[in-house]
Amino acid sequence: MMNQLMILRKVAGIAKGFRILPEVTVLLVFVVLSGCGSESPTQQAKSPEMVPAIPNVPAPAADVSQVTEETRQVYQWYCTQCHGEEGHGNGVNAPHLVVPPRDHTKAGYLETRSDEQLFGAIKLGGLAVGRAPCMPAWGHTFDDKTIQSLVSYIRELCDCQAL
Amino acid sequence: MRVWIGVLLLIFTSVLPVWAEPEEIERKGCRDCHRFSSKETQAVRGPDLFYAGDKFRENWLKEFLQSPTVIRKVGYITDPGFPSGKPEVGQPHSVLTEEESARVSTFLMTLHLPDFETGKVDDVPLSKGVRAQAKMLFERNFGCIACHEALNLVGKVRGGVSGPTLVNSGLRLKSDWIFHWLKTPEKFLSKGRMPVFDMGDETAIRITKYVLSIRTKQ
Ligand code: HEC
Ligand code: HEC
Ligand code: HEC
Repeated sequence: MMNQLMILRKVAGIAKGFRILPEVTVLLVFVVLSGCGSESPTQQAKSPEMVPAIPNVPAPAADVSQVTEETRQVYQWYCTQCHGEEGHGNGVNAPHLVVPPRDHTKAGYLETRSDEQLFGAIKLGGLAVGRAPCMPAWGHTFDDKTIQSLVSYIRELCDCQAL
Repeated sequence: MRVWIGVLLLIFTSVLPVWAEPEEIERKGCRDCHRFSSKETQAVRGPDLFYAGDKFRENWLKEFLQSPTVIRKVGYITDPGFPSGKPEVGQPHSVLTEEESARVSTFLMTLHLPDFETGKVDDVPLSKGVRAQAKMLFERNFGCIACHEALNLVGKVRGGVSGPTLVNSGLRLKSDWIFHWLKTPEKFLSKGRMPVFDMGDETAIRITKYVLSIRTKQ
């Protein structure tokens, strides 16, 4: 229990670092407590839509990278494991996760997210931005430009922009 | 002098068969899918084996080659059926007899990377408290469970399937190999599907020991 408390305190510290609102910190702590393997069905009910996480991640807003053939290949190679071949959130891991992978074709939700927020989720992972920890951090796998192009690609998949 | 060279030669040639490639590898077409040297350039349809001696525990290899079990439920990462979860290659896997398996395993255990460092992870298991912390790292901070099967508190298998199962992987993988995989995956695989993590030695050791402890009770 001591160790858990220490980790919680650490996460709260990180949250401060990102200047996340206190309510979100509470939620972050909640997400930390809930894991990501399909075990506790109670957590399934919690809709992430309601989380107003506004992490302050350094993402150039206007200059969004172009979607290239490489972007599509990156998405196919890595992201489809959870998000599925067409981005519907039905990849091979999806049935085993507590929080379902986002459907990247759903404009309704993605319109509520800014490009910076999507960028942050991909770069830092779900946990760091108040989302489920089963969305891994890709910041050490791809450079920022690739991540920006992935954001653009997701915008292409949902055929939508941030409102 | 000449006599000594003769004796040395004799010793070397009598040792040689152990190191030489067993004929099963050609005969069974293992190279259709696996690489036994990093210099081979054929299409890779199964895991690379040119560092098998750094990666596997010999007893597991012997057992696996005689009665293979499924480690990657959706297939190897290059499997055309991987994205849809319907593996097309190597399941069921080729089977060897006990003698063949012993020969091939002995050979595989001689395959190493030139700069592979051993002695990174000691044998002391994690204390209960530290293990709980390591479990957090595994499940929350790094989200390993999203792609790998592990065991929950009551010993039930759970977790994602895109990565190889980690249940009982302590019987299969060497601890130093897990450590180096987490630190420098590019040394083993130029382009995997697992994210690259940036973790310190201490964290990598903890996670390695946690992985080793994911074991079903026999
Ligand atoms: C191991 C499974 C997994 C993989 C692999 C994965 N994701 Fe995710 N992703 C998730 C889950 C689960 C969520 C939902 C998180 C939530 O709603 O709390 C998610 C959510 C997202 C979101 C939405 C974040 C938000 O603001 O709501 C984006 C964008 C995203 N993923 C992009 C990607 C990209 C790009 C890749 C490939 C580089 C990728 N994901 C790979 C599991 C995964
Ligand atoms: C048709 C392709 C194919 C052939 C032929 C084949 N293998 Fe495999 N092998 C695979 C695949 C695919 C896997 C992964 C299986 C899994 O993860 O469940 C595998 C797994 C293995 C493993 C475990 C490696 C690891 O990282 O998990 C070893 C060792 C191995 N094979 C050795 C051999 C040997 C020796 C032969 C020849 C007798 C052989 N294989 C023939 C496709 C093949
Ligand atoms: C997005 C999915 C994903 C995540 C998250 C992930 N892995 Fe993996 N892992 C894989 C895949 C796929 C492989 C097979 C090699 C590859 O493609 O990189 C793998 C390979 C491995 C292997 C080697 C197994 C073998 O037999 O070859 C180990 C050990 C491992 N992962 C441990 C971990 C640990 C520990 C974590 C968390 C720190 C983790 N993985 C996070 C997908 C993932």
